[in-house]
Parts: sequence; structure tokens; C-alpha cells
Amino acid sequence: MAKARGTDGSLLESLPWTLFALMFSLAPHIQFLPWWITAAFIVCGVWRFSIEKRRRPIPSTWFRGFLALLSFLGVLATYSTVSGVGPGSALLAIMAALKLLETLKRRDQFVLLFISIFLVMSSLLREQHLWSLPYLLVAVFLIMTAWLRISSATGQKARRSFSTSGRLVMYAAPLAIAMWIFFPRIATPFWSVPMDTGTGTSGISDTMSPGDISSLSLSDAVAFRVEFKGDVPAPRDRYWRGLVLTVFNGRTWTGNDPFRGARVHEQVVNSGRPVDYTITLEPTRQPWVFALDIPWSWTLERTFMGRQQQLIRARPIDQRVAYEAVSYLDYRTDVDLTEFARSFYESVPRQSNQRTQELAIRMRNAAGSDTAFIEAVLMRFHEQEYYYTLEPPPLGSNSVDRFLFDTRQGFCEHYASAFAVMMRAAGIPARVVLGYQGGELNPMGGHLIVRQSDAHAWNEVWLEGVGWRRVDPTAAVAPERIEVGRGGSMFDGAGAAWGFDMPSALLHKVTLYWDAMNATWNEWVLGYGPENQDKFMEWLGMDDPDWRKMMLTMIAVVIGIVLLISLILSLRYRPPKRDRAAILYKKFVRKTGIEPETGETPATFAIRVDGESVIPVEAVDAITSTYLDVRYGPPNPQALQRLESEVRNL
Amino acid sequence: MSSIPWPFPKLGIKPALTNAAHRRVRQWARKRQGIDSTVTRLRPGRVYILPTGVGLVFGLMVFAMLMGSMNYNNNLSFVLTFILAGLGFVAMHQCQRNLVGLELSFAGVEPVFAGQAAQFRVAITNHSKNARHGIRLYTDDSISELQDLMPGESKVFVLAVMTDKRGRILLQRFGIRTLFPFELFRSWAWLHMNLSGLVYPHPADHAPPPPPTETAHGHRQHDARGEEDFAGLRKFHVGDSPRHVAWKAFARSGQLLSKQFSGADTSSQWFDFSAVPSDDVEQRLSILTSWIINADRTREDYGLRVPGAEFPPSHGETQRRQCLETLALFGLDENDG
Repeated sequence: MAKARGTDGSLLESLPWTLFALMFSLAPHIQFLPWWITAAFIVCGVWRFSIEKRRRPIPSTWFRGFLALLSFLGVLATYSTVSGVGPGSALLAIMAALKLLETLKRRDQFVLLFISIFLVMSSLLREQHLWSLPYLLVAVFLIMTAWLRISSATGQKARRSFSTSGRLVMYAAPLAIAMWIFFPRIATPFWSVPMDTGTGTSGISDTMSPGDISSLSLSDAVAFRVEFKGDVPAPRDRYWRGLVLTVFNGRTWTGNDPFRGARVHEQVVNSGRPVDYTITLEPTRQPWVFALDIPWSWTLERTFMGRQQQLIRARPIDQRVAYEAVSYLDYRTDVDLTEFARSFYESVPRQSNQRTQELAIRMRNAAGSDTAFIEAVLMRFHEQEYYYTLEPPPLGSNSVDRFLFDTRQGFCEHYASAFAVMMRAAGIPARVVLGYQGGELNPMGGHLIVRQSDAHAWNEVWLEGVGWRRVDPTAAVAPERIEVGRGGSMFDGAGAAWGFDMPSALLHKVTLYWDAMNATWNEWVLGYGPENQDKFMEWLGMDDPDWRKMMLTMIAVVIGIVLLISLILSLRYRPPKRDRAAILYKKFVRKTGIEPETGETPATFAIRVDGESVIPVEAVDAITSTYLDVRYGPPNPQALQRLESEVRNL
Repeated sequence: MSSIPWPFPKLGIKPALTNAAHRRVRQWARKRQGIDSTVTRLRPGRVYILPTGVGLVFGLMVFAMLMGSMNYNNNLSFVLTFILAGLGFVAMHQCQRNLVGLELSFAGVEPVFAGQAAQFRVAITNHSKNARHGIRLYTDDSISELQDLMPGESKVFVLAVMTDKRGRILLQRFGIRTLFPFELFRSWAWLHMNLSGLVYPHPADHAPPPPPTETAHGHRQHDARGEEDFAGLRKFHVGDSPRHVAWKAFARSGQLLSKQFSGADTSSQWFDFSAVPSDDVEQRLSILTSWIINADRTREDYGLRVPGAEFPPSHGETQRRQCLETLALFGLDENDG
């Protein structure tokens, strides 16, 4: 038997609120969802509302089933999977849209609100910004208001639901804060779920093909922030080592194989003062861990140092992580290189880029020593007409030849690649290091901001008796790129493009301020993990914090707050204090020994008392009239006193 | 308590089992609370609370969210989870407080005919400074409207209780409950006011016409109204036909007087229990009831004679009530209900 599908307009009071809450929860997902899901959602919302408004029947089961199948296939076709945050939120949005079409009873809307909550939750899993907290608070407030609209008596004013849910969220806030602070955080997750939350924003990939892309993206996004314990190193020392490319096929550099070497750490010899700092790395969805050249120790779990002194984590970094690290700016690595390793780092395809190789051999012979040769190559970049540009012309096959002899325009990758090929051709072990260079010091927060646009490529060459030594050919072409970084110039450019200069500086300042707030937020709220929590507990006076103590504290604090809320509620709902006159009159009634009947007025009661009791008639009449005066007349303290004495004297 | 609300289907527990459990719990509450007076204020100790189906789902969801937050170590979803958990705690206390302190007073029940629903009226007064939301009364098989009570407000809630036989209908227990604020919890209280209402016999559907009755003088009744012979004026009684009011006299003296006709005085009919053409007592009472209703509708005078009681002919509200009450309680011991 077909179920009744008619609507009667009974949802008109709650449905708009439910729709609003759903829409608000969906909003942060829209930029990640395929457009058709958002469109389907809006169409279903409007459609369902107009059905209710015009009291039409909802669509049939067959039609809804057909739509559900279609949408599921659509999600599958778009994402080719149904697990993960992306397809998950897409499915949630679709479910909400379809559930709308079969919502008939008021309480069916609870499902929609549960979906809203999950949508909010998945948006938090996807991104956590400074505005995410106010967003989630408003979302909870709206969802709970819609919740009240569903369960309230018909005809209740929306304003009342609004204030009630606001009040309840206010009560819940201290509880939430207490639980948030004391709930023990654990370091390792229970299970791993793919976090394919769209494309990574990293400016760094594990291959490098200069000439393939004709322009470098200048993303302003923050790659990581660094807080130094001591002095901040000079700009020219800020090389943030990421990954190391070792294999060149004539066009593309690959070969970042950070397999764990047994004695990697022993091959690093430090000197000078250690640099102590904390990095807060934005999610990259890649396993590379960045640290100041050259890292000595680090606190990030499941992270090891590869053969080429690059850091790598066993799991991709799909959430913001913070780690402390110690680096040494003066170091020597791999002073002894095996014959096999040397030939590995010298190999370059003989057939490709032959002009470059010939030039390299010629220059090496002319220079006489490896060091002199390196100087000569850098001099060539510096003195001849090579330009540093972010939009170089594309290079064909034999890209290094073309770059070195024809176009002579490029950015760091072009120079690093060309330099490494020349070194290898001349028999000097060389490799390419990818990472970031520089970073902008934020005067507000005192930390260093390293952006995606600071992505950089440089070289390392191996010299007999010295080990690997860093050489940055880009510095020879554009020394200002290394000395000051590019941070400031970009903002000036943005201002200049609009024909004014001043506000751009102001804008820059505002941006830095915003960044400082973000950094604090990241450290203390988003980064409130096991370590920060332990620190905070110790600061609160808990010695030797462990999860049991925190759990007990949490339970105690929560119970305390709940009791307090209960007290506030019982005070709010207590009946008004009975006034003094009523208490006195009650005393009088007790003294008469006669039970007043329901609905009996003081006057009629007095007549009954006169008849049945031994109390003098005058006293009864006096008390009754004084009581009526005090109770119903204008405020009269003397009358109250009189009543008091009359009752006492009885 | 009525059905477990969506989204849980009815649990697969044998109804007999749950009924027995319900009965035990109620007996315990009854013993604990004693009989309530007809004006009762709800103390905190007698307001019970349990989560609803929605509340259980909500709890499960919060738990799942907690697991998810722990897994991802995501501090903002911890915030979301804990806010929702906090709202759960707050909702629990708010839900109970929503009932505590309310004053319930019985506001009467009108007599009904068997087969109709007796409308028990209970006034609920909110003495506190805060509004109470989503209050309703209920019994095992009836439920009142959902209403809000503003501060200081008093509203009447109606419980319609189906009747099937004449006599006294007892409402030994009814409940007051609320799901406010989020339907996560249901708090309720049981009241034992021992309310009772009167149920008149069901009027016979096809009652034979009343037997032609003798007038007081032994003549056959010729006209119930007997409006020909004007016999004088008397003081107006409630129930007198407005057509009999001496409007001229009223205009003159300002006093309401009814015209009396000689025929009206003498030609009243008697409804006699023993004269009803039926063997069954209940059937006889039904027929009598039906006669009284008809006579009352046409404002004829009628008298009622049943074993042990006799009401001389008259008409009006009092006559109707007295007669129907006698029929309702005929043969029943007042005390055993």
C-alpha cells in the first residue's frame, strides 16, 4: 500500500529553520564539492519548501529511489570512491537533499539536523582556520534553534526559540571548555583514514623538470611557521631542507629515495652553535618534513633521516603538525664517499645536453681545480646575461642546453638543474635539494613565516676532504632573492598594480598581524596535543600529569559545573517568594484551627471563624481587614507592622 | 508512557513483560507519593527523567564524534563534540526543571453519556518567573494538547477519557510530561488525584415513544403545553421558555415573570421505570434517558419514578441533572465506583 504523501503545511514553522541550518553547515563544503551537488541540494530545498507551502504531495518512492541511485552514481563518477572526507561530505549533502524530499513529519527533520552536525564536523576535519571556531559556534546555535523549532508547540515565536537555544549554548559553553581542556589527548590515532581533501597546496613536488611549466605559481599560502628559541639566523642561512633529487634523465630530476641508511646520522659532523626552533608545518599531504639545513634532532614522531640527510615521515602530513628541531648551520656530511656512490652522483645521460657537457669539460680543464671550476660556473651565471624570471619561456628537448645557451631566463630550478648537470659532466658528484629559502620575520608574533612562494631549489656538490657543500647558483644570478627573500616585494607589487603605494604597506601590516594571530591560534588551540596539554596541566599545578589524573579532574570539574548550572536553573525556576503578609495570614489561619475551603475568600473565612472559633470577633475582623489592606492596597509598612503585632497578640 | 518515539522501532520485547514492568514501576511510584490533593505542586523528587530515542541516537552520535576527534586529533571537532555533550547535560537539567514547581489543580469534568469521552479539565499554573515549554498531560490512552505556560500563567489542559458504561468514571492516575528543550530527554510526573466524573446511561438509539401518561386529574394528556388557559403569573425560573415571559409586565415593573397556563400545570408526564417496555434494566435506563433528553429538548415537564426515588414533574437544568444522575447511579453502590 502506498503511504500517504500529502503535506498539510505543518512543517512551515520548522522547515525554513532546518533548511537554513543545513545550508549553513554545507557552506564551507561548497568550494570543494562538484557544482551539481550544491545545485541539487538547493533545488531540493526550494522544491520541498514550495511543496509544503502549497500543500502538495511529496514525490513518489520510485522517483526518490531513482534520484538516489542517480546521485550515488554521480558521486562515484566524480570521485571514483566513496570513502574519505571529500566523497563523504558529498554523500552527506546528497543524503540531506534526498531526505528533504521524503520528510513528512516534523520529527523526520531530526535526521536532517544530524546530517547538518556531521557536515559541520567534516568541514572541521577538512580545514581548521581561525574563523572555524566562530563558524562552528554559530552552526551549533542555528542547528539547536532549528531543533527547538521542530519540538516546540505550534505557534511559538521564533524569537523565543532563538533566545532559548542561545541560553542553552551559553550554559553548555563552560562544560565544553572544561572537557576540552582536561580530556586526555593521545598521540597516535586508532586507525588511518584517507584524507583526500582535495589538492595539496605545497609548491614542492618530488620531481623537477625545468622548462615544463612556463611559470611558477606564486602562492601566498603559508608553508610553515618557525619560532626560534634564540637568534633568528640571517636570511642567507635560512635554507629549509626538504628532499634531495639524485637522478637526471636528461630532462627530469627524480630519485628522492630516502631509504633509511644505517649510519646516516654518523656521517654528519657538527660544529658551531646549535639552532633551536619549533616548526608548525601546514598539511602537505606529502611525507616530507622540512628543517633548517642541517637538522640534527627533531621531535616529530615516526620521522627519520634518509640517505641524503632529508627528513621523511612514515605517514603523509595531512594535518598541521608542530615539532621542535635542532639544526647546525656549520656541518660536514659524507666526507668519505664510496666509489659506487661517487659514480652514482656523477651520472648524467651522455647523449642529452651535449653542448652543456662539452662546455663543462672545457671549463673544468681551464679552471684547474674543482673549487675554481665551481667559481667559474657561478661567475658565468653572474657575469653573462642570465636573467632571473618567474615566467621563463618553455624549453624543448635538451632543456639544459636550450636554457644555458639560448633562452638564458629561468628561476631557481633552471639554474640548479643546469649547475648540477655541469658539475656531473665535469666529474664532480652533485645533487639537487628542494625546499624553501628565506622566510619573512613577523614582528608581531616574533616568528618566521615561510610561504609556498619561498620554495627553492639549490645544489650540493661533493668535494674531496670536505664532503657535501651547498652551492646556490640562483644566488649568483639574483643575490637579492637570497639576501632579502621575496616576501615584501610582492605586496608592493600588489599595491603598485592598483596605482598606489601606501595602503599596500598597511595591508602588509594587517596581513602580518593576522598571521601572528593565526600562529598563536595554531599553537595553543589547534596544536593543543599531548605535549601542550601536559605543559598546561603542570602549569595548573598537576604533578606528573597522566591521562587518569586528567580524566578524573575532567569528571570532577564537569560535575561541579553541572551542579552549578542545576543551581542556576532551580533559582531561575523557583516560585516568587511569598510575601510577609501572606505568611502572617497563614499563621493566623493555623491559630484558628479551622481549615479554609478551596476558593474561600478571607472575608467569608472570617465569618466562619467568628461562628466556629473562640477567638474574639474584633481580633478576627481586625486581622482580616489589615491583611486585605496590606495585600491589595497600596504599599503600607505600618499596616504590615500592625498585622504582625495583631497576629502575635492572638 | 506512550510509545517509544522514532527513530527506534518498537523494541521486540513482549508487551506483557513491559506492561508488567510498567505496572510495577507505577505501583512503586503510587506507594511512594500517596494520594495527591486536587491542588498539587510538583516537587523535584517526583519528577522522573529518562532519555528518549532521539536522545539515545544523539548520545551515540556524540560518542562517535568523540572517537573521530580523538582519531584525527582535531581540536576543533573536539570543541564541537564537547559543546554537543554539554548541551546534552544542560538539556537534561532543563527538562526536569521545566516541570518542577508547576501547580496542577483539578478544574472539573462535565457529565457525559456513556460512549462519549469525559473531558477531565486540569488547570496548570506556572508560579515561577520563567516560561515553561511544551507541557502536556496524558493517560494510558489519551493525551492533551501541547502548550506553553508563560510566567504566572495558568492554562487548562483537557484529558479526554473514553467511557463505555454508566456510573462513575475514575481517573486514578494521569501524567504530566515534557520533552523540552530538544526531545533528548523526557521528564514526567504521575499524579494520583482520584478524579471522578459522572457518566449518564447511553440514550437508547431507537427508543419507543413515551407511554401516554395520565394527568394529575386522571385525564388523558391532551396538550403538554396547554397554552389556552392563562392561569396567572409567577416568578421567572431558569429554564422557563422565553415565549412564556410576560414581557409587558417586565417593561412595567422590571421584574421577570412567567405566564402560567392551567394546561401546563396539570398535564405533565411521568417516566416510570416499571412502565418502560423492556426487560433489561440497562435498556430501560437507556430508554428513560432518551425520553428525558427529548422532553428536556422540547421543554416539557416530566417526572421520573424509579425504585427508591421519585422526582415530581418539572423541567429545567436541575431537573434534568437530578434525573440523569439518578439513572446513572441506579443500582450502583456509590462507594465501589
